Amino acid sequence: MAVDAERSGTPGGFVRGPQSLVSGLVLIALAALALWLTRDLPQGTLRAMGPAMLPRWLAIAVGLCGIALVVAGLVRDGHQLEGYSLRGASVVVTAILLFGVAIRGFDFQAFKVPTLGLMIAGPLAIFVSGFATPEVRARELLILALSLTGLCMLLFGDLLNLPIPMYPQAFADLYPAGWSSDGRLRMTAAVFLGLAVLIYLAGRRTASREPIDVVPDEHAGTV
Amino acid sequence: MGDLISNLSLGFGVVFQFVPVDVPGIGVVPLPMNIFLCFVGCLVGTLIGVLPGVGPVASIAMLLPITFKFDPVGALIMLAGIYYGAQYGGSTTAILVNIPGEATSVVTTLDGHQMARRGRAGVALGIAAIGSFFAGCVATVFIAALGAPLTKLALIFGPAEYFSLMVMGLVFAVVLARGSILRAGAMIFFGILLSTVGTDLETGQERMTFGMQFLSDGIDFAVLAMGLFGIAEILRNLDHTEVRDVVKQAIGRLLPGWQDFKDSALPILRGTFIGGTLGILPGNGAVLGPFASYTVEKKLAKDPRRFGQGAIEGVAGPESANNAGAQTSFIPLLTLGIPPNAVMALMVGAMTIHGIVPGPQVMTKNANLFWGMIASMWVGNLMLLVINLPMIGVWVRLLKVPYRLMFPAILMFCCIGIYSINSLPTDVFFIAMFGLIGYALIKFGFEPAPLLLGFVLGKLMEENLRRALIISRGDMMTFVERPVSAGLLAVAIALLAIALLPSIRKGRDEVFVE
Repeated sequence: MAVDAERSGTPGGFVRGPQSLVSGLVLIALAALALWLTRDLPQGTLRAMGPAMLPRWLAIAVGLCGIALVVAGLVRDGHQLEGYSLRGASVVVTAILLFGVAIRGFDFQAFKVPTLGLMIAGPLAIFVSGFATPEVRARELLILALSLTGLCMLLFGDLLNLPIPMYPQAFADLYPAGWSSDGRLRMTAAVFLGLAVLIYLAGRRTASREPIDVVPDEHAGTV
Repeated sequence: MGDLISNLSLGFGVVFQFVPVDVPGIGVVPLPMNIFLCFVGCLVGTLIGVLPGVGPVASIAMLLPITFKFDPVGALIMLAGIYYGAQYGGSTTAILVNIPGEATSVVTTLDGHQMARRGRAGVALGIAAIGSFFAGCVATVFIAALGAPLTKLALIFGPAEYFSLMVMGLVFAVVLARGSILRAGAMIFFGILLSTVGTDLETGQERMTFGMQFLSDGIDFAVLAMGLFGIAEILRNLDHTEVRDVVKQAIGRLLPGWQDFKDSALPILRGTFIGGTLGILPGNGAVLGPFASYTVEKKLAKDPRRFGQGAIEGVAGPESANNAGAQTSFIPLLTLGIPPNAVMALMVGAMTIHGIVPGPQVMTKNANLFWGMIASMWVGNLMLLVINLPMIGVWVRLLKVPYRLMFPAILMFCCIGIYSINSLPTDVFFIAMFGLIGYALIKFGFEPAPLLLGFVLGKLMEENLRRALIISRGDMMTFVERPVSAGLLAVAIALLAIALLPSIRKGRDEVFVE
């Protein structure tokens, strides 16, 4: 939604509060959408309200607020539109969608994904989302992805028994038949955590000259 | 009075109950399960709440799934613990980093962070915890005393009264929201509009579902809350690359000195009273508590110039008000079944998952749960004092974790949390969508909080409006003819009128600018 907005309103001209103007227009559009969606539903009477009565009046209220904001944007000086970051929004949304697609599989017409479970969905979401900020460091992110997924498997799967798919069936079959499902889960988590530690140690050895700051000082934080 | 004591003892009995638990390797051992759950709740609540940019709403939404495994009493005790933990974590962040986790700890940043910069972070944290504990104790008794009479009041409430009460609550929310009243009003309407999406309960017709099946049950509250407060917050934080201002000074000793105690005793008392009273109001009155307390302390102080320079009264009062309000905001939920803010709405969601419908009948039908939860509030506050102060070093370490590592973790917890509630991948897609919508709203200068409250109350409002109109045979006058309902509406109109008066409006803007 924000992505479609102008990056900044032109100061001066007859638009004095671009933020008010645009936000008012958005409200009007939302109201129009709601009115259009409820166009076929009966409104009923006050005595026996139909399904469309409340939505319709609410949409009108939203629309009126929108009109008031548009007027305010034309009459009163107001804020400029804030800038937005396309990178953050698109990467974060992609990461969430990937998690949703991978966790239990996805089947929509020609687009089919088998159940991949937390084993794939977790690291995927963490690793991809990390690229939302320009300060991304891939190796650090990889350690985070592996260790956090391992811990989440133990917490949600083993300790709390939540019905979250953990790994694809094909992966579970790799274990010897005698293993219990708990044993398989713990082993998988241990492998993830082990890998994370290995990558951490390997990085430390190669970069032993300059200390890597996994917990760097305040200059690195971005909030 | 005798009732109060017997009820509270029932509650503490529930909290300290020993449950036989099968411990692997040892066998069945009786363990105080509820105390343990309260402890874990407080701990993980603080752990998540301390992260900058994660408020109580997002914390609770993320941690909701870890309570699914337990019985309703245990789960709600744990959730309440998470809530207090998240609140307290927010104050810690406010003091140490100058980033308020949520609206109610904005005031704490003013003097708390200044204290921290002067090497008195420990004292600020200590007095915040002690003030909160005192406020918590008073509020617990307050809830226990008010719970029973208010529940009786609820029984004389008809649909018309309920509707008017919610209207009043929403007007409160509009008046208390930061920024323009028009924008807050628009968000409330939009929120109620979103709540009408889905199958109409009376006629069974689908409304605004785009013909999609997963929308026919309506939009899930947890999904909306997680999108607006979890994901949108991440997106917003990614835009700012400013420096995180973690105090470099030593934390110093935690126990306040004698002089500090003398200075903060009265502010704590006043803050508890102010916060506790405002917290009962529907429409998120608790938000106002810390602001009101800070203003009062500044007015009463001999030397108001010290405020903003690290005055301990400016931490003690608002923090007590904050905690008292956080607790008394349970009252509208437990007695009337009306959630006064987003956190309480999540509690409704959690109760529903465990098969409990919040409202006046909880106290009679689930006396164990009701009084157990109230007793656990006190225990939770004690735990915050006992476990959190010694662990302050851990929280400081956590505050130094850079955001580039923090947000992917938050994001994954959001995804796992929302998936585990309904096991629906579509819910995961929806948090992305609502995250984008929330981000857009923030960019357009709207606040997501009133939207969420409108959404929460929307369904209840429509139901009660329809019922009231059926009873009155379509006569709108029923809302003004019934005295209680008329009174509530009059309060709402008066509030709105006052807020719109030019002189007050100016004052209101100043309060929020501070």
